Amino acid sequence: MKIRTLILLSLAFTACSVSVPDNAGLSDAVPGIFPDYTDVVIPANIAPLNFRIEEQGDRYVTLLTAGSSRVVISGPKVIIPSRKWEELKGNGRIEVQVFVRNEGSWTQFRPFSMEVSDEIDPYISYRIIPVAVEAYEKLTIRQRDLTGFREKVIVSNTMVQTNQSGTCINCHYYRGGDTDNMMFHVRQYKGGTILVLDGKLNKVNMKTDSTISAGVYPSWHPTHDYIALSNNKTHQSIHSASHDKLEVLDEESDLILYDTRNNTVSVIENDVNELECFPGWAPDGRTLYYVSAHYEAPFGPQRRDQIFRDSRSLHFNLYSKPFDPDTRTWGKSKVVYDAVAADSSMTWPRVSPDGRWLLCCISTHGVFPLDQIASDLYLFDLKEGTERYAQELNSPFAESYHAWSTNGKWVMFSTRREDGIHTRVYFSHIDDNGQFSKPIALPQRDPDHSKEFLFAYNIPEFMTEPVHITPRQFASFISGTDAVPAKYESKKENDDE
Amino acid sequence: MTKVNSNKPQELYGRIVRFIPVILAVLLWSLLTFDNHYYLKKVEDLSLFMFDSLFLVEWFKTPGGFLGLAGSFFTQFLHLPWLGALLWTALLYLAYFLTYRILRIPDRLRLLALIPVALIVIGNMSLGYGMFIMREQDHFFAPTLGYICSLLPLAICRRMDRNLSRILLLALWSIAGFELLGVFALSGVLTAALGLVATSGYTRKEGVRLVGIAIALVLLVPVMMYPLYVTYRMATSWSMGLPTPSVDSWTVAVRLPYQLSLLFAILSAASAGRMGSASLTFRKEITVQVLALAISVVTVWGFWYRDENFRTELAMSDAIDNYDWNKAIDIYTRTVRSHTKSDEKAYRDRTAKLKEVTNADEAADIVDRYSKRFFEPTRTMVLYRDLALLKTGQALDRCFTMKDGGRPQNSRTQLFMATQGGKMLYFQYGLVNMSYRWCLEDVIEHNWSFGTLKYMAMHCIIMQESELAHKYVNKLSKTLFYRKWAREQQALESDSLAMATSDPYRQVLPYMCFESRMSNDVAKPEVYIMSHFVDEPVLNPTPEYATAALYFAMRTQNIPAFWDHLRTYTLTASFDKLPVSVQEATVLYNNLEKSNIRIPVDKAATDRYDSFNKFVQSHPIRSLRESSYIYSKSFGSTFFYYYYFIRNLQTY
Repeated sequence: MKIRTLILLSLAFTACSVSVPDNAGLSDAVPGIFPDYTDVVIPANIAPLNFRIEEQGDRYVTLLTAGSSRVVISGPKVIIPSRKWEELKGNGRIEVQVFVRNEGSWTQFRPFSMEVSDEIDPYISYRIIPVAVEAYEKLTIRQRDLTGFREKVIVSNTMVQTNQSGTCINCHYYRGGDTDNMMFHVRQYKGGTILVLDGKLNKVNMKTDSTISAGVYPSWHPTHDYIALSNNKTHQSIHSASHDKLEVLDEESDLILYDTRNNTVSVIENDVNELECFPGWAPDGRTLYYVSAHYEAPFGPQRRDQIFRDSRSLHFNLYSKPFDPDTRTWGKSKVVYDAVAADSSMTWPRVSPDGRWLLCCISTHGVFPLDQIASDLYLFDLKEGTERYAQELNSPFAESYHAWSTNGKWVMFSTRREDGIHTRVYFSHIDDNGQFSKPIALPQRDPDHSKEFLFAYNIPEFMTEPVHITPRQFASFISGTDAVPAKYESKKENDDE
Repeated sequence: MTKVNSNKPQELYGRIVRFIPVILAVLLWSLLTFDNHYYLKKVEDLSLFMFDSLFLVEWFKTPGGFLGLAGSFFTQFLHLPWLGALLWTALLYLAYFLTYRILRIPDRLRLLALIPVALIVIGNMSLGYGMFIMREQDHFFAPTLGYICSLLPLAICRRMDRNLSRILLLALWSIAGFELLGVFALSGVLTAALGLVATSGYTRKEGVRLVGIAIALVLLVPVMMYPLYVTYRMATSWSMGLPTPSVDSWTVAVRLPYQLSLLFAILSAASAGRMGSASLTFRKEITVQVLALAISVVTVWGFWYRDENFRTELAMSDAIDNYDWNKAIDIYTRTVRSHTKSDEKAYRDRTAKLKEVTNADEAADIVDRYSKRFFEPTRTMVLYRDLALLKTGQALDRCFTMKDGGRPQNSRTQLFMATQGGKMLYFQYGLVNMSYRWCLEDVIEHNWSFGTLKYMAMHCIIMQESELAHKYVNKLSKTLFYRKWAREQQALESDSLAMATSDPYRQVLPYMCFESRMSNDVAKPEVYIMSHFVDEPVLNPTPEYATAALYFAMRTQNIPAFWDHLRTYTLTASFDKLPVSVQEATVLYNNLEKSNIRIPVDKAATDRYDSFNKFVQSHPIRSLRESSYIYSKSFGSTFFYYYYFIRNLQTY
């Protein structure tokens, strides 16, 4: 009986096995596939790069080869078995040949390659957010295992908010990718900043009488127990009929330093005629980069409308500010990139772990690149003092939030390149000369996922390990704990510098 | 047991009683199909069902998800109201029949089984404006299905011999059922336990144990299963699967009918044995049956939301969604006309009352009280009418000849017009990003719907954002009733020429001649649209835009803006002579400003203005509200009346 079953199964398997067409006509073009994984550099530990063949046809065969490993897959959806994928990657360079049969004749497209390179951090997290203006009923911060497809919720606002008292969760951040030291903000109902310090949960209210808001965009000090944050009074306005749908601006913004051990807040920059934002530490922790735009307008109810009217003239420069972490003393800021002179606006400066590169967004104006089609990524060489448009990374749509892997070999960035509105996560390898490889989309088990999914990926951050605190623990802590008010401390400045 | 003599009258009575639910079902279907056609269509428009894996999976992330999915599946058939109504009526009949059979309601009292069904009917048909604020748009069918499912465990348990098997089934039902049916499954567990104890010969000890286990399952299963979910708060566990409005003040009203229907099932199950053995005289049986029937019918009729303005809004909205502008105008006109007699009567009654008053306060009070008896449209109706008149080029000729007003919605809470019709109004006026914005807000507040997806797709097509358009159109191509529409739109995604000559785009593009600007509508579309047309300068307006700008300048009674936009209108639009309302505005504003701007007007317009002034001399205005009716009878179709009497309207 068993033998008969085995024979039947073997016959069935043979009948279903796929063979590579041997009579195909050759095409010079690489096949259209989605996501576009043709001729890319991939991390050694990345999940299978499944894709869909977007060529007209009635039968499809894909042959993946690397060294002696070989996988043949039939059908327009190329779902690569994990074990085979690991084998293929082990050989260093994967060659992919696509065969498509259309109206009875087979075409063999030009083969493309996947070059296996450095490893990438095994986990990332992002916020999954519906594209929206004001409503925020369904937000989750999720973690994704990059070596596979497993995605888990870290925290969900639906576990906290009530029907009418909404809770927003945003700006998650990890100290050097360490999930035992992480933070995110909770706004509105049960609001406060959730800080995980050495695995222990804390809830803090960083708004003090001397600062304009609670903490917003964070950057955790690489060596000391500080977090630099911006304070922002943010507003949104809608473009009545342009491809840019939304404009996000700060009526006021400053920078603060939060001391995680002593629960104190001190000011870094709070010039009333400057809109300081987006702090980012250099890896030695002795320089803070940030952006700022000069803006003078009377304070009061009209300022909000005025700033939207003036938005085209808001140009954010890049500044660096010396810092002594041991004495917590600041030096004088200096301009690193003069956006005003370049008639542009810089945001999100983030320095590579080796301190050599600074990746940022540059747009025509304003402070919120996510909603600006014109926003592109630029790379600054801090050693040589040069800058360049990161052509390899950019698309006709908005490129925005980006992060460096902890080994500095990969960048991850969010982009709206696929449809103009739903932000997606892409990765690119950077070599020693600052050249990026062709970006690859976050792999999905179902290659159609990105086309079907009507939510956006927001604030992608690398993690070296998964978050261990469960969503339920986060939710009950947020719901059951009052935020401890931070104490205000005066700023220490070194006038000599 | 009461022995019922098998004489002829009682047999006839039995047959009639059995036939009553069928008659009620037919009546309900007719009422739904013929009298609530647009309501059903709107319910469908606000819902979504797609043959799409992500869509299907999403439902199962929350307890009661299967019920929601099934509810959405059935709701799509309301696209053809007769069919959706038929399905719902059939399910209601099934609910009635199962209530009667499974809860073992004695044959002679079977009409008691109408009560939970009546409650379910109320749950849907009392909603009114509440339909726009439901979090999940499965509410029309899901509770009906949930109620039916809640009766099943009792029926299944009765077929089991062993007590242990029954307990295991209840445990399994509560765990799997909570995931699939939410609170309806838990209710089913209680119904089953109490029903078994009442009818299956349990000893007191066994009964207490079974009911104890059921209560423990109801209390513990949601707690135990909570860690499996990341989509809701623990405190809401025992309401999963019930409809949820996005406004708290609606919650009790929305849920109570369903909670009561479940309570009825639980109590009926608990008293099943006793009900069967109760000795009632034939007369008492009839009394109970008649009472049950009366309670059911009167409750349904009493709570059924019947508001004419609401119905008119729905009908107009449907016509506009189909670009049938004349139909929208016709619906508005018919509604106004249907109140001519009642308005006249209200006026006569009020006049009689006013003759008796002795002081001004008393008079004001009477005017106030009687104002509700006069017909007045809602702002939404007026905006729909304006849109239809503008699209057909009749706005300047007819808008100010029609009844205007600002009757608040007859609703528990005032619903934002943006939620109800924002995406459609903005889109039709070319404010496409604002339309898209309200689609996005709607998705988050009230989930995806056919209507929202359509407007999102149309936004992207008119903005020539083809990749995004394809995404939305592709979703609609996975639906049962919007496939054809999706196929038509697919042809327009990347073909701007074809798009520009197709509906609705060809009628929207002329309004998109303005420079995009940044703004926020503060959820008040009427103010935003008027301000957009009146206040924003446009270099090269199209005739349609110039007409709308002039029209809204007249609506806002802004005299300088009127002269500005009249100039643009005369340079842009083509006409033989100025529309009547514009002539009247010219005469009025020239007189008010004592200016002599030379615009050719007919003598008739000047004569009407003179008549109006003479009428003012002979009919002094004590208060606008009091005098408006008598003035409207003679001058209701003039701009003079609009200027003086249509003021201080509250928009929302």
